Amino acid sequence: MQSDALLHLNLNRRGQFTRRNFLQAAALGVAGSPLLSQIQLNAAEMKKQGRACILLWLAGAPSQLETWDPKPGSPNGGETKKIQTQTPGIEIAHYWPKIASVMNDIALIRSMTGKEAAHERGTYHLHTGHRMLGIEKFPHFGSVVARELGDPNSDIPNFVSIGQTLSSGFLGVQVAPFIIDRPGQLPDNVTSDASAARQRRRLALLSQQERDFARAGAEVLVQEQSKLYQKASMMMTSPRLKAFEFDGESEDMQTAYGKNQLGQGLLVARRLVEAGVPFVEVRSNGWDMHSSIFRNMERRAADVDQGLSQLLTDLKSRGLLEKTLVLCMGEFGRTPKINARPPAPGRDHWVRNFNLLMAGAGIKGGQAIGKTDENGQEITDNPVQVEDLFQSMCKAMGINADMELHTPIGRPVRLVDGGAVIKGLFG
Amino acid sequence: MLQRGSSSLRKRPHQWITLVALICLTLLATSSAAPRKNTKKKLPPLNLPPLKTQEQKMQLLGYIRQNMPTLRQGSRVSFSSQDLDKALALELGDTASQAAPLIDDETFIRRASLDLTGTLPSAEKIKTFVADQNSNKRSDYIDELLETEAYARKWARYWTSVIFYESEANKRRVNPEALEDWLAEQFRKGAPWDYITVMLISATPERNKKKKNDYGQDYGPNNFVLACENKSTELASETARIFMGISIQCAECHDHPFDNWKRIQFHELAAFFHPYTYKMPSQEDPTVSTVVKPRFLLGEKPYENMKSDARRVSIAAYLAYNPQNYWFARSYVNRIWSELIGDGFYDVDSLGPDGDVVHKPIVNRIAANFRYKDFDPKWVFRLIMNSQVYQREMRTMDSPSELFTAIRPARLRPDVVANSVAHVIGEYPQLRKEIDTVFDMNPSLPQSTLEGSIQQALLLMNQRELQQALSQSELKQKLLGIRSNEELVQSLYLNVLARNPTPDELQRNVSYLQSSEKRDEAVEDLLWVLVNCTEFRTKR
Repeated sequence: MQSDALLHLNLNRRGQFTRRNFLQAAALGVAGSPLLSQIQLNAAEMKKQGRACILLWLAGAPSQLETWDPKPGSPNGGETKKIQTQTPGIEIAHYWPKIASVMNDIALIRSMTGKEAAHERGTYHLHTGHRMLGIEKFPHFGSVVARELGDPNSDIPNFVSIGQTLSSGFLGVQVAPFIIDRPGQLPDNVTSDASAARQRRRLALLSQQERDFARAGAEVLVQEQSKLYQKASMMMTSPRLKAFEFDGESEDMQTAYGKNQLGQGLLVARRLVEAGVPFVEVRSNGWDMHSSIFRNMERRAADVDQGLSQLLTDLKSRGLLEKTLVLCMGEFGRTPKINARPPAPGRDHWVRNFNLLMAGAGIKGGQAIGKTDENGQEITDNPVQVEDLFQSMCKAMGINADMELHTPIGRPVRLVDGGAVIKGLFG
Repeated sequence: MLQRGSSSLRKRPHQWITLVALICLTLLATSSAAPRKNTKKKLPPLNLPPLKTQEQKMQLLGYIRQNMPTLRQGSRVSFSSQDLDKALALELGDTASQAAPLIDDETFIRRASLDLTGTLPSAEKIKTFVADQNSNKRSDYIDELLETEAYARKWARYWTSVIFYESEANKRRVNPEALEDWLAEQFRKGAPWDYITVMLISATPERNKKKKNDYGQDYGPNNFVLACENKSTELASETARIFMGISIQCAECHDHPFDNWKRIQFHELAAFFHPYTYKMPSQEDPTVSTVVKPRFLLGEKPYENMKSDARRVSIAAYLAYNPQNYWFARSYVNRIWSELIGDGFYDVDSLGPDGDVVHKPIVNRIAANFRYKDFDPKWVFRLIMNSQVYQREMRTMDSPSELFTAIRPARLRPDVVANSVAHVIGEYPQLRKEIDTVFDMNPSLPQSTLEGSIQQALLLMNQRELQQALSQSELKQKLLGIRSNEELVQSLYLNVLARNPTPDELQRNVSYLQSSEKRDEAVEDLLWVLVNCTEFRTKR
């Protein structure tokens, strides 16, 4: 009878194991049964792969013509020149000399095509793989990764974001992003002046207090709160907390990433991945360049150029790049036609074609996928939809893109709806 | 405020009467599609008096309001809290027998105070309230709270957050504080909800060229329009969301997937807010667009050739005064009900088909009576809070059939958590700011979908300023001055959780004090535990 209950609890209609049910099963006291340990074993096996993802998010939508698809000499080219990269035949905009020097590890997607030309909606689409329609709150891809690859009993969060980002949507607090604002420092409020013994006494008393309140009718809130306090307490004593700081990191290494918010954020991202965090987002603001695009690009690109190239080099030299997916993208592209906005021209929102950069986790570097015409107006080869991108991200992370997620009202939705892995991306 | 005739109106009676008659006629004749004779003839432009200032607009709207048939019925209709209880019991049927017991005075005073003012009652107030023998004391207390500055401030904050929470507007072009101050003034004065709404909808902020980036943000009511970046599409979806409780946003791009709203209706509403000719982009080809004429959601058409100022006034009129637009009154009622009871009749800003409303007859009746009561916001609070529905114990409910048989334990909003902390340790501006950020939550999401975070736990556990303040607080000194352990624990609970401890709690805390070596540290531990417990940040 117990195993019957287990089957009902742990396997959804398609025979997949779901974590929520695992918690229920554990609560029913059947955690020690053979089937369950089997499942736990498989889960552990999966995690051994050590896959991780670092998303560098260029908030505001960077221009494709000033990044990986320059068109100098054409009417839309503007002041941007192109430079040769390490990979013969691939040329990128001149703002990116250091990225050019590690091109052999990078795959450029030059033929992205999207559907959302507003920041909020585009951000949602490129973070969740779903368009913002209806009331369903789809989870950030990071929350999906945290759920699938993270250790549920981890003493630090499985998803860290340096800068604000989207939420875990209907996947809940367990896999919500832990957000920090200042890289290189411990997160706020993780240290306590109280001795460990005193802290234990307080927590013991607190849990009794909580039990009374749960009995008075607030079970659900108390359960959530207890989980969060447990996680917070574990985090406070975690030896892995030092991944948030630069403890043991040489001054040279910090300089190599760039002594600025973005560079230091990428260094923290590498340290967190090294410490076993499966998903880290690092946010760079200021890419919404409606005016003065060429001057602004010069300024903004420098930090990203240095930090991102160093990240790839560093991951590679530590043997982490083969298991770590690195993504650099924004919400859409910018109009090929240069506008006439004062004080100096810029480019507006454009979703018909844009580009992004992928590296690591089995992706074949030194290639540019897709083409646009000489004016940068139209895609002429291999258009890539957002769904194709997410299929590819799932493949890189070893996550089944066809898996069903369940919304709070029990509606099954596919992790990625349609699309196919980008051709040639994985060699 | 909305008043019958004033001097400037009397000076030019003809023009005014023409306009009022026009608007009223369109209002009342919305559903009857009477054939018009003069459709082929082009209408002459309306020669309107200027509607530039808010006063001029409000005078006009005041006239329209006087002519609302429902308001004339109002004085003869009554709907009391007892009527509400009876109606709900009927609606709940058998489930009514599972209703939770009514709360005691201690729970009531904390709940009512948190709900109306966002603050905890003082220990003294709790004692006198509990001791009071007057049978009307709960009702009197509600009245007392409704007259406080804190009531006006709490609800001004709530609505400002509703308007600004997801706004994408440039921070330099908006002024949420000005909106909050203005709303607080309105709630303090007891301004009717329709007045507040029409002021927000009909505002036409104009750029002040002398000041860079200034659209008159300092003028509170302008900030609804500015929060929508003065974009027609944004104004359309936010007006429907906030003031009608309808989610039509997705109709911007396609016919609503599970509701009646068509894409064209969304754009007709957007056209209403547009100063010039509005064009709807084609779905297939972004370079193609078609002209769309303004129309309100129920089909109301404004007078052609109306200036955009006057058109904004007429949207406000269609929104608030068309008797067929029951969504307007209902969305206010549903929001306040959700805040007070913990669940709405539907999710406050994402109503799908009308059929998804639970216990629809109840919400519709309250909404109709809200209209009869001149859209008085305080009437809604009195009605709900004096009822048994509100005064029941909390319970976690899973199924829609159980709704309203108890109240749902609700997370307190960031400003209320900050107030509660200040109640214990005094005011610390930096700490308040941090709590506001870390406890931030979308005011338009149902309680059941809100979530806590590790950061919130860490803040209350360890935040340095808070810990220091706990150890140096006046409250702690006062507690240390109490010789008897029992009395100490009683005072502690009364001051932090606004109630007396249960026998179990009393015994547990007393024995903690007895077994501790350092009394000073032990008292601090007890304070820490109560500030960190779920109850402290929950409405019970």
